[in-house]
Parts: sequence; structure tokens; C-alpha cells
Amino acid sequence: MKKLLVLLAAIVLMANIGLAAELEYFQIYKPKEGMTADEIMRIEYFVKYTLFAHDAHFEGKALFVDKAGSVLEKTTLRERITLGRKSDDIAYKDLVMFTSPQVKGLATLTWTYMNPKRQQDSWLWIPSLRRIRKISAANSDDTFMGSDFTVEDILTRRFDDETYTLIGSENFKGYTCEYDKKTYFKGVPCFVIEAKPIKKPWYYSKRILWVDKDTGGGIYEEMYDPLGRMFKTIFKDYEIINVNGKEYAVQVLLEGKDLRTGHRTVIINSDIKFDGGLSEDLFTERALMQSRW
Amino acid sequence: MKKYIWILILFLLTSLAYAEDKLSFSGSLKNETSIRIENLNGDLTKEKNIVELAGQYKINGDELVFFTKAKYWYDAAYDARDKLDIAQHYEGHIQRSDWLRDCYLDYTNGPWFLRLGKQQVAWGQADGITILDRVNPVDLREFWLPDMQDIRIPLWMANINYSPKLNSNLQLLFVPDWEQSEAAYLGAPFVFRSFTEFDAFMQLMMRNHFTWDVKLNPVGHQFNNATWGLQWSDRIGDLDYTLNFLYSHYTSARNVISLTGTKYTVNRNFPLYRIYGCSFNKTFTNPGPMQGITLRGDFAYYNDEPTYFGSPTAASTKGYKRWDNKFWLIGIDRNFLTRWTGSFQFSQYILEHAKVGRTAAQETYPMNAYTYGPMDQVENIFSLKLSSHFFNDRLKPEVLWSFTDDNQGRLSPKVNYEITDKLVFSLGVHYFYGNVWDTNGQFRDENQFYTQLKYTF
Repeated sequence: MKKLLVLLAAIVLMANIGLAAELEYFQIYKPKEGMTADEIMRIEYFVKYTLFAHDAHFEGKALFVDKAGSVLEKTTLRERITLGRKSDDIAYKDLVMFTSPQVKGLATLTWTYMNPKRQQDSWLWIPSLRRIRKISAANSDDTFMGSDFTVEDILTRRFDDETYTLIGSENFKGYTCEYDKKTYFKGVPCFVIEAKPIKKPWYYSKRILWVDKDTGGGIYEEMYDPLGRMFKTIFKDYEIINVNGKEYAVQVLLEGKDLRTGHRTVIINSDIKFDGGLSEDLFTERALMQSRW
Repeated sequence: MKKYIWILILFLLTSLAYAEDKLSFSGSLKNETSIRIENLNGDLTKEKNIVELAGQYKINGDELVFFTKAKYWYDAAYDARDKLDIAQHYEGHIQRSDWLRDCYLDYTNGPWFLRLGKQQVAWGQADGITILDRVNPVDLREFWLPDMQDIRIPLWMANINYSPKLNSNLQLLFVPDWEQSEAAYLGAPFVFRSFTEFDAFMQLMMRNHFTWDVKLNPVGHQFNNATWGLQWSDRIGDLDYTLNFLYSHYTSARNVISLTGTKYTVNRNFPLYRIYGCSFNKTFTNPGPMQGITLRGDFAYYNDEPTYFGSPTAASTKGYKRWDNKFWLIGIDRNFLTRWTGSFQFSQYILEHAKVGRTAAQETYPMNAYTYGPMDQVENIFSLKLSSHFFNDRLKPEVLWSFTDDNQGRLSPKVNYEITDKLVFSLGVHYFYGNVWDTNGQFRDENQFYTQLKYTF
């Protein structure tokens, strides 16, 4: 009987630890001194996927710059609704519409599930067919829209995909963005974390991340290939947006550089709106069907 | 017709000055050139220049929106080559009212969505095969080679949608408009064998002092001739499905030939038929061996589908019968090796007909409407498409192989290269093989090499 009670207590304790580890949607979390690498990274993912907000609207553009300086530009409109709904396992839904001429009208609807092992569901509106196609989830190591980011860099990497080690704390050395030549985050206190993928073999062996102690946002990362050579850097600038008295940390500029090819991608988010009351009806197949271009 | 396009352009440009935030437009200029592979030096089969302009005007935010798209093209190959001259009138430039590709008003209010005007509606999950996708007639002057949005002929219709709950939709189509599907004319590269065979027979009989009276019996634009469509779409778990019903006149003519004395009479009819069907798609998202695979499918039961019949040995039609045929398809899509996507489809067109060997039944053999060649009771159709992307999506190769179990098909490799973010160049080949009485095999001497250059703005 005593053993049974101990076992029961252990189960309850473990369950509580599990619940405590999962962050609640629509709250704002900030890292604190003394937190473990896991706790810091849960906040980093929370900030990355804007799970603090009920909905979000971004207009943006992506610049693809090759080694010779030739630039291709794609513009997008992105909307997201965060649900965190256990009944159908849906974490959030994303709608991305391409607005630049060559791909105008192309739109994707993606549902991301709360179960981290479950792949996303995606639907694509293809203007040349005038039809919606259900599409298989892109491979996580494939490029995202032809950029220097992979699909998992932007969309699919979850907390459970890696193991984390806190390397230390330091003031960030600063990053000079090639897009606007400005130096960002110089001297900003950061946690430095090493993240190693669980999946092996994988296209990277580790990431070293600098996480802003103030916002919990990952501001810079270095990616290393299986032979331990750095092959990519990713920089993210944040802006604090005040929404109904809450301060949301939002990515406004991303720069990814492939050190092997010299190619880089810049993503600029502008016209950002949060909690505007977007309806879930906008994130359905019928909404995709209403595309005109 | 040109003047309408210019009026539209002027309207869009002047409106832009007054309503920058409400009006948006885009357009493209495109050149398509193709050459027969058998004679690369001079057998130009297409020199088509296309201009397209689309405009959207938000009358009342996203609630009430007007959208229109106009298109004009001119194919210089029909002027440049004597051999193609005969088809110039039909193939050299845009036909009928095809220049107006879209012209509709969208109204959205809560669960209601209405699209009223000229438009195209696509049903089903099949790629490149129209199993449920039969609301609009089709333009097959270039066979099934162009994009489906250019193959479908838009119609004036009321497209009424009501969503009783999240992720479900009831769609009602009322189509008072009707257009005949188009096929290539004699002399054009993709003229159907059924057309050339029929023309040859006509010429032969005329030389023998027979006369011909060809009567086109188009479907009148009357309420009782309207097409009606109904689609229910919903989701069970993570399975998306639709139930479909279409009540329509056939858009491809079915000829009935009769002989009185030395006079042949040809009645070109467009009989009524019905489609009862369904479609589904499902992506396996949970961990397991199927994770990452998308399954999709269509099923259609064609009630009273007008189907040509005849003798399989003579390869000539004796008319059409209104049979109950079935068509189903299953498709599998999967990404693999990081950047490659594979898509495989298998479909069966199951035709109602009498068994082989019964003498009296020989005349009820189904005939291919494109060739007047014999068809199998069950046509097995396959397609395999592989595509990838390189150099940050600038270079996109793909290959499509569609074939049947009768050793006939089409192989179409293609490469797209994005020169700038507004300029794309494409290079490809269409290779046809098989028996001349088969759908693809009939074009085995029309293999072509082609280029496309598209500028968008």
C-alpha cells in the first residue's frame, strides 16, 4: 500500500512537472537568470511562433541575394490564428498569400498541431489550376520558398526536436546586417545555448543560439554541419509592439546567410497587427477557394 | 474585340489614379514558341503572343469585390506557314468571347459567399484528367497541354456558397450560360484524328456526288437548359471529402449521321447527362510508415453519358449511345530526398458495353471520341510526375509521364528558370507515342520542342 502511494505521488508529481513545462497560450513569458536551457528554449519557441497573441497579420517581403548581388523579391501577406485547442489538437493556423507579380495568387493554408510529433496539414491554392490541392508536408530540411532558411527554420522545428545545453551568458558581440548595414544588439545580455538535433544523421550537427534575456527571442544563431563546420548564420531583429497594454516581441527582420554559396535571404515583416479579431473562418479551404488571382 | 481590351486597360489605369487603395491590377506578356521535333529547321507549330490583364476593385472592403481578367493572343505561325493556313481563322487568334476570362462580383457575409458572373469552377482532386472537373467546357485546340485554367472555358453563372459550420461548405451552381468545347481545326497540329477521318470520308463521298448537310444543335440559353451543380464539402477527422452532383448538357458534340438517297445529314447534338460523384484527400500527419504521404481520389458515375460506339475492326463510329459509365482515380503524393516531389495517379474509365465475341454486340463497342478508335471496356490510365528545385528555387525541372496499359502515352520534361522576379523562361518537350487510334498515339508525329518567356507585372 505504501509503495502504491509513493508510486501515485510520483505519477502526480511527474504530471505536474509536465504541465509546468508546457507554457500556456496567450501569456507573455520572459527568461530569468537561473532558468535551465530547456526552460529558456520553451520561451524562445513561444516567442518565435507568437503564441502569446490570439491572431496576427504581417505584410512582408523576402529578398533573395546571390553572391554576385543579383536580387529577387517576393512579397507576402501572412495571417495567423492561435487556438491551442485540445479537442482537435490544433495549435495554430497560418495563411500565407503571395502578392508579388510572378506568384500572385499562390496561397497556402497550414494547420499546426499541438502534438509535436504530428506533421502539419497544408493546402495550396494553385492559380494555374484554379484549384486547392492538399499537399504533403515539405521535408524539414528543404529550403523554405527558395530561401536560405529551411522549412524547419521557419515553420516546423519544435522544442522536442532538439536537446539543449546552456553554455553561458554573455553580452552579444553585435551583428552588422548586410541588408541595411546597421549593427544590431551590440552589448545586449544573452543566454548562449547549444541545440543538438535528435534526428540523426541530419543536415546540421548543432546550433549555437544567442537568446535575448529581455524578450526571450533568439537573435542570432550559427549552424554547424555534421563535420563541425559552420555553414549558416541566422539573424533576427525584434520590435516590441504594445497591444492592449501587453508587450509583444515580434520578428521584424531576418537575415539568413549560406556561408557555402554566399547566397543570403532577407525577410522583412511590416504592417504588423495583433489581436485584431480574425475569424477562424478565414483559415478554411473555402477561404482559399475565394482566391481571385 | 481589341477595342474592349483597350477600354478595359484605360478603365483600370484611370481608376487607379482615383482609388489606389481599392484597386489593384496585374498582368503578363508571354511568348510561346514550339517546333516539331521531326523538322527543327522549319516546322514552326506555334508562335503565340499573349497579353493578360487582371483588375480587382474592392467596392466595400472584402465584403463586396469586383474582379475581371481579359486575355488576347495571336499565333503568328498560322500566317507564317502555308500548311497551317487552313486553320488560321480558328486558331490564329482568340475566339468567341474567350477574351474575357473572369468578370464577377464577390459577396461575402458571414457563412455566405456568392460569386456572380463569368468564372470557372474546378471540382475534384485529379490532375490533368477531368473526372469531376466538368462544370466548364474545355478548349482542346492545344490538346491537354496548357494549364487547366487556360483549358477551361469560363461561363456566366451564380456560384452560391453557404457554410453551416467550420470547415464545411455547400455550393450551389446555377449556370444559365452554355458554350461548346473547342477542338483543333483541320491543319492545326493537334487536330483530332476523328475530325480528319470524318473530313476524309466527307471529301470522298462528295467526289462520288453525295451531298452533306451538317446541322449544329447548340443548347439554347434558356432556363430549362441550365446546368445545375451541387457540392457538399466537409471534414471527418483529418479526411477532407466532397459529394458532387452535376446536371448538364454534354459540351462536346456527338454526331448522328443519316443517309437519305445521296444526301448525308449530320446532326451535332449535345445530350443531357448527370454526374454523381465524390472526392477525398488525406495527409497522414501522425508518426508511422505513412507519415508525409497524401492520398487523394475522385469517383464519378456518369448517368446517360453520350458515348460513341461502332465496330472495333472498322474503327468507325455508328453514332452514340447514352451509357452509364464510371471513372475513378487515386493519387499519391510524397516529398522525398529533401527537394523532390513525386506524384502518382492511377485511374480507370469503366465503360458500359457488350462483351467481345458476340457478333450482334460488336456494334456496341465503345469508341474513342478523339480518334474513333476502339476503347477497352476498362481503360487503365496512369501518370507519374516528378519535380524539384535548385539554386534557391530559380531552376525548377519537372517531368510528367502519362500513359495507359495500351502502350501509348506522353512524356513531357520541362525546366523553368527564373531570370528575374518578373521574368521566367521555360524549355520543354512533348513526346507522344503509341497507336494512332489512341488518345496520345494519334499525335506521335507531332512531338514538339517548345520555349516560353513570361513577363509579369
